[in-house]
Amino acid sequence: MTDLIQLLINGLAIGSVYALAAIGFVIVYSATGVVNFAAGQFVMFGTFAGVAMLLNAQLPWPVGYGAALLAMALFGALFFAVLYLPLRASPVVTIIIGTVAIGITMQNAALLAFGSWPFRLPSPVEGVNLTIAGATISAHAVAVVIVTALMVALLWLLFFRTSLGIGMRAVAQDIKAARLMGLKVNRLLALSWVLAALLAGIAGLMLGPMWFADTSMGDPIALKAFAATIIGGFGSLPGAIIGALFVGLSEVLGASYVSSAYKDLISFGIMILFLLLRPQGVFGERIQDRG
Amino acid sequence: MKMTRQEFLKALLAASAMPWVGAARAEQGSPIVVGATVPMTGPLSLTGKQYHNSLMMAEEDINKAGGINGRSLKIVFEDTQASNSTAVNAFVKLAQESKPSLFFLSSYSTQNLAVEPELKKIQVPAFYAGGADVVAEAGNEWMFRVRPADSVSAEGMVRCALNVLKAKKPCILYIQNDFGQGGARTAVERFGAAGVTVAGMGAYGQNDKDFSAQLLGLRGKDIDVLLIFNYPQDGALVLRQAKMLGLKMPLVTSSAALVPAALQLLSPADLDGVWGVVDTFIDPSVGGRMRDFVERFKAKFGSDPDPYGLAYYDGAMLAAEGLRKVGTDPKALRDWFSAVKGWQGIGHLYSYDAKGNGVFDLAVVKSKAGTKSLELVQTIKLN
Repeated sequence: MTDLIQLLINGLAIGSVYALAAIGFVIVYSATGVVNFAAGQFVMFGTFAGVAMLLNAQLPWPVGYGAALLAMALFGALFFAVLYLPLRASPVVTIIIGTVAIGITMQNAALLAFGSWPFRLPSPVEGVNLTIAGATISAHAVAVVIVTALMVALLWLLFFRTSLGIGMRAVAQDIKAARLMGLKVNRLLALSWVLAALLAGIAGLMLGPMWFADTSMGDPIALKAFAATIIGGFGSLPGAIIGALFVGLSEVLGASYVSSAYKDLISFGIMILFLLLRPQGVFGERIQDRG
Repeated sequence: MKMTRQEFLKALLAASAMPWVGAARAEQGSPIVVGATVPMTGPLSLTGKQYHNSLMMAEEDINKAGGINGRSLKIVFEDTQASNSTAVNAFVKLAQESKPSLFFLSSYSTQNLAVEPELKKIQVPAFYAGGADVVAEAGNEWMFRVRPADSVSAEGMVRCALNVLKAKKPCILYIQNDFGQGGARTAVERFGAAGVTVAGMGAYGQNDKDFSAQLLGLRGKDIDVLLIFNYPQDGALVLRQAKMLGLKMPLVTSSAALVPAALQLLSPADLDGVWGVVDTFIDPSVGGRMRDFVERFKAKFGSDPDPYGLAYYDGAMLAAEGLRKVGTDPKALRDWFSAVKGWQGIGHLYSYDAKGNGVFDLAVVKSKAGTKSLELVQTIKLN
């Protein structure tokens, strides 16, 4: 039983990180129709923003986290201005290829700036373990789950209780109608990219202490976030969250109770089954309907 | 001026011989090129940077000492990254463009195995440091290992578990590649030979980042020692996550998790109760060439050398001696290396067997309580 509790908390923690990356993925896709293949590198940038602020600049925790997230928000805006805005009239596939190219550039830029050696990004609750029903739980893992739940709640408030969020949803639903209604569409689109970068930044800052910060950490995150959105439903925020938690839990529980050698096969196998049998995922629209 | 027929023929002969003489002179003055395919970027560069540095240091030392019979030595590097195909491309590029007299291959068995057929084609001697026994079992007479084989490391880890930690219910966690699978297989055999049954086995992929399922799964088998066959970065992460999950049993790791590059990712608490084998216990206090190497390496590169770096430094010095004695002819060099017996390097005594294995000793170490430094428990020599 104690092992199961530990596995569940770890699965939820890793699933929470996937969830934040997947939510960023979905927000950008819903608003712009672009599948951002650089999403994993956004998370990697978030971790390295933490390395730059907390380890290199030696800023205290709150200031360092704030500075790292500000840097990520600026990066999201820059991404919108430099990549999306000039290419938005191009076919979607051109923008998608652009995100792939930027993802590779981001990885190499991080390699140039930080080198190939990983960093140990500490946690504010470093070394603190909790005992729950006899199971030793890392306080950081619990914090990751709580922070993610908080972020989801804040997102819900943003999208359903503020005019800004309602405007973003309107743009995601029908960009032409939103423009005709007088909404500042460009500003709202930019906000989608900023929000995605911020969520990736939070995911990166929380992931850094769980893994080490290294420039190749983005790829597995992108794959898992992609699997989560397929399972949960492309374009659905609740789907992204449920899908990500499912991927995190199936990874950890599958490795423990089925086979550690095939843990990725379990989540990706389920993703393929969804693509074959229910391509719209648990909550989402059919991908082909969107086009 | 009128030229006789005899004078004309002499002039013709001299003119036709000129390029050959020039080429011979140019070769005499040109450096001897050695190729090195090293992971300089990506996750494997944690150890790759070490032997990149130590090979550069060896090149400088060899040239300062007069080079190879008056010719300088030049090591040309290519990056293998963390990819077998990149390793093969790097090797082929060097072989075609630089035409080295000998090679240094990476310390990763999977890359060594990928490059092995290409090496066989061009027939030039190569030093390598991948530990997997299958590399030597492939029977490539051009390959010479400068580190202990994994079977030697596995034997050391099993002896540590059995003799030092008195293990009754050991289990094994390994990285899923030639190195990890080979090491785990050997360990199971050695435990079996000692009458001890391995209580559980777990595996993980090279790019995995979360090991909680494997660690908790193995802990659930009520084990008393956990052996881990790992690479540097994943090894450090396994040790860290083991502590985060509250695993209390002693952990015995393979050498990669205890190199300085991996240790810098760990805290003293992460290393509590960690044992392991290292190729060489690098201890400058023993003085002599060891201290000289450590001090100069640290001064030059700003970091402590690790046993991988030391192995390649020794390999470069052995290569230089061979080149001085028999020149650059590949077959002569290969035969000379094959016949090396009792060559004293800084890290090991090198004696090559018929399969190209040259090192048969290692050190068992443990972390000093509350610190990130290691202390020697015992050295193990195998026949």
